[in-house]
Amino acid sequence: MRRILLAATAALLIPACGKKEKKAESEKPAAAGEASKAEAEPDEPPSKIVRPPVDPYPSTYEPYPSSATLITGATILTGTGARINNGSILIVDGKISAVGAANAVRPPANVARVNANGKWVTPGIIDVHSHLGVYPSPSTDSTSDGNEATAPVTAQVWAEHSVWPHDPGFTRALAGGVTSMQILPGSANLVGGRSAILKNVPSRTVQGMKFPGARYGLKMACGENPKRVYNDQGPSTRMANFAGYRQAWIEAAAYNKKWETYWEDAEKFYGEDEAADGKKKPRKAAKEDAKKSDDKKPPEAPTRDLKLETLGAALKGDIIVHMHCYRGDEMALVLDMAKEFGYKVASFQHAVEAYKIADILARNGVCAAMWADWWGFKLESYDGVRENIALVNAQKDGCAIVHSDSALGIQRLNQEAAKAMADGNRLGLKITEEQAIKWVTANPAKAMGILDKTGTLDAGKMADVVVWSGNPFSVYAQAEKVYIDGALLYDRADEKRSPRTDFELGQPGNGFTGGAGQ
Amino acid sequence: MTNRLIAALAGANALLSFGHAQPTPVDKPIVIQNARLHTMGPAGVVENGDVIINDGRIVAVGTDLPAPQGATVIDGAGKVVTPGLFAPFSEIGLVEYGLDGEADDSSADDDFPLSAALDAQDAFNPTSTLIAINRAGGVTRALSAPLPGGKLFGGRAAVVDLSGRIASVTVPQAAQIAALGYAGASIEGDSRLGAWAVMREYLSEARVYAINPRDYKGRSRDNDMNYADLEALGPVVAGRQPLIVYVNSATELRNLIRLKTDFSIQVIALGGGEAWRVARELAATNISVILDPVLNLPSSYESVAATLANAARLNAAGVRIAFYNSDAPAHNARLLTQLAGNAVAAGLPYEAALAALTLNPAAMFGLQDRLGSLEAGKIADVVVWDGDPLELSTRPYLVVIEGKAMSRENRQTRLRDRYKDLTRGPLPFAYRGSD
Repeated sequence: MRRILLAATAALLIPACGKKEKKAESEKPAAAGEASKAEAEPDEPPSKIVRPPVDPYPSTYEPYPSSATLITGATILTGTGARINNGSILIVDGKISAVGAANAVRPPANVARVNANGKWVTPGIIDVHSHLGVYPSPSTDSTSDGNEATAPVTAQVWAEHSVWPHDPGFTRALAGGVTSMQILPGSANLVGGRSAILKNVPSRTVQGMKFPGARYGLKMACGENPKRVYNDQGPSTRMANFAGYRQAWIEAAAYNKKWETYWEDAEKFYGEDEAADGKKKPRKAAKEDAKKSDDKKPPEAPTRDLKLETLGAALKGDIIVHMHCYRGDEMALVLDMAKEFGYKVASFQHAVEAYKIADILARNGVCAAMWADWWGFKLESYDGVRENIALVNAQKDGCAIVHSDSALGIQRLNQEAAKAMADGNRLGLKITEEQAIKWVTANPAKAMGILDKTGTLDAGKMADVVVWSGNPFSVYAQAEKVYIDGALLYDRADEKRSPRTDFELGQPGNGFTGGAGQ
Repeated sequence: MTNRLIAALAGANALLSFGHAQPTPVDKPIVIQNARLHTMGPAGVVENGDVIINDGRIVAVGTDLPAPQGATVIDGAGKVVTPGLFAPFSEIGLVEYGLDGEADDSSADDDFPLSAALDAQDAFNPTSTLIAINRAGGVTRALSAPLPGGKLFGGRAAVVDLSGRIASVTVPQAAQIAALGYAGASIEGDSRLGAWAVMREYLSEARVYAINPRDYKGRSRDNDMNYADLEALGPVVAGRQPLIVYVNSATELRNLIRLKTDFSIQVIALGGGEAWRVARELAATNISVILDPVLNLPSSYESVAATLANAARLNAAGVRIAFYNSDAPAHNARLLTQLAGNAVAAGLPYEAALAALTLNPAAMFGLQDRLGSLEAGKIADVVVWDGDPLELSTRPYLVVIEGKAMSRENRQTRLRDRYKDLTRGPLPFAYRGSD
């Protein structure tokens, strides 16, 4: 039965943590931006300059059809820190069109009305830390695709190449109101690989779930896991963990330099009006540069290295770094390492000791993704306190996130936030529901670089919306309707609006009433 | 409960009395007044009710009761009183933190020869930080259970209280633990068929052993079962000690029913992912189920029909249920209330959910006459909550174990208090919050 318990906590033992970069949310994701430059201008001849593709497995997600919908009479938590009693929200063309007091929102003709008197409305729940699809249900050797535990640095692997879109866990998360999530590689490795940012939309392919335009994340891990997994070959100590990260950054910086040099040379040689950073150069200057290199051979592009490509992009801020770190002292060291190599940590994952260094985290603009009360499954999680989330939140500019790392926990992120709020308030921190909802909506969206598109109910954003049966901070509340880009993809009252995965078809579940394990 | 089990508990009672014989400070009586009482007894729910506690026992439950002289009076207005929570399956006291052998006695190594003979009371640590932490969440009793390591059996579990005192064991050897299903098969037997065959062989051999141990030891055998294990299984095959079996699939739950019948033993199902599919059969054979009510994933091929409705359907069929936290049975037994709340949201009647946290687990171990309800004469394990006990915002206001008001302070509250203000002080943080 130790195996039973180990199975239950497997995800815990091998989770990933990351950090994020503080980027202006309105800034266009660099990866997507470059992609559009390279591919979206067919009238220009193909460049002779080699540029590795930044998005070779692009999203094919398209919102499902929706009609204009007006949800009325609800208590609305907007995700921006505001609360509207007796509010209305208007969804048009898959976007949030208007939010406000019931009498202030003017619907178009023929709008579908949803009476939400007594119900609550929030933005779709977002989980910054999930292993759905890479550690799917059923959990077997053949579905265990989350940890490439064959070398301490595996930045070359991408979670999206492991995600099984038919994981039944996605449907359970949907029934819990989850509309977007970050799928991370596990935490066996110092650098685990790229994350996948997904919309929680059932799809035949992972591309059909990928969040359009989202930058990739990178999963890194502190502490016990890497040194335990690689005890025989190293790293076997925390100091070797750091040596491993630093060595990787040094190689990545050299790799970046190699490509930059190549791009500069190539640009001079071909006289193309594009520079390494994709920015236009004055044509005249480019031609002059070209003349100078007439007598040279064409420069040869460096050999691509998938590992260093990802690490290099993280150094440049094109990939968002999330780092699994339990201990406060380790987080402080990581922040210095980020300064040493000039990158940013967007979030610490499983930051069980964030409360010990909440001021340092806030000063550095780093989010902490936490559980409400998980603790003690290993020594580095021994110092958990129930007020962790609230204490991070209490700092000026503190960024607290409630995450799951669990196929069960992801179904109840609202409940985790509720417990954390309650414990914070017992400490006198005066946290309101409209603030606490940000821990599972706006703040994870910010850390994942998608706050400009989702995470709040601001007009113009994707209509990722949950209608709850009651106050979502109550244990009895259930997500009744879940809209993704305006499409009603889960309706507790309508079996036909409840997904059943391929795996579950034909299995003994005839007693199911609402699908999705409900 | 059978007479045999009651007889077994007579021995346990003796142990408890022994514990009381040790000098303990006399606590003042406690009176809780004007609270909503969920008695879990014949009185049902009592509004504006009073509970009087004295000398470790509940003395009276009712309304407008006169407070005894010198009693500590607790104003229960707006508060809710329940029996103390009983975690029916955990490794409390056997594990401090995971992944470190020295801090984890919850299971033997794969190659360790003994299994059923292991006894939780040999390692139970009443000063474990988990005890005060879970107590602050209203847990007053627990089963401290060793988990199977290299064999199907984990060993003998003890019912303990969460007072932290040295004599914390309420009932030693209260149950034997075993794993079947895929978990069992991965330990012994290679397949589910093999694991069940091994289980039956153990029980058969234990029965033979019990008749005449000396004769058994003199015989040649074709198994490598250890005498100590066979001896430890004696109370199980005698029907005196329940065998808690981790099993999930409907098929294997039916096997468990047969095992109970064939061997005339007491069994409790643990896990029970698909138990709702055989609910009526379980009810008809009086098999209780310890489940995690939020398991709704086909996390294995033996839980393909897992659903949030499991608890509600079992209860509706008349199965006695109790809850355990499958994520963290010991560290977060304090979250049993949240699990129960989710079961209510999924259709379980409220009082049935409370019973699953209190009276039902007590009854599973034959302790329903001593624990699990607010009734005169029972051991005074009582929790006063500052709201609906199943609600996420509610915490215990007062926790009483055997008549003694317990501290809600613990290592976590101390850490919190040390770091809640990060302003630099005249001395380092290590000087804050110490005694």
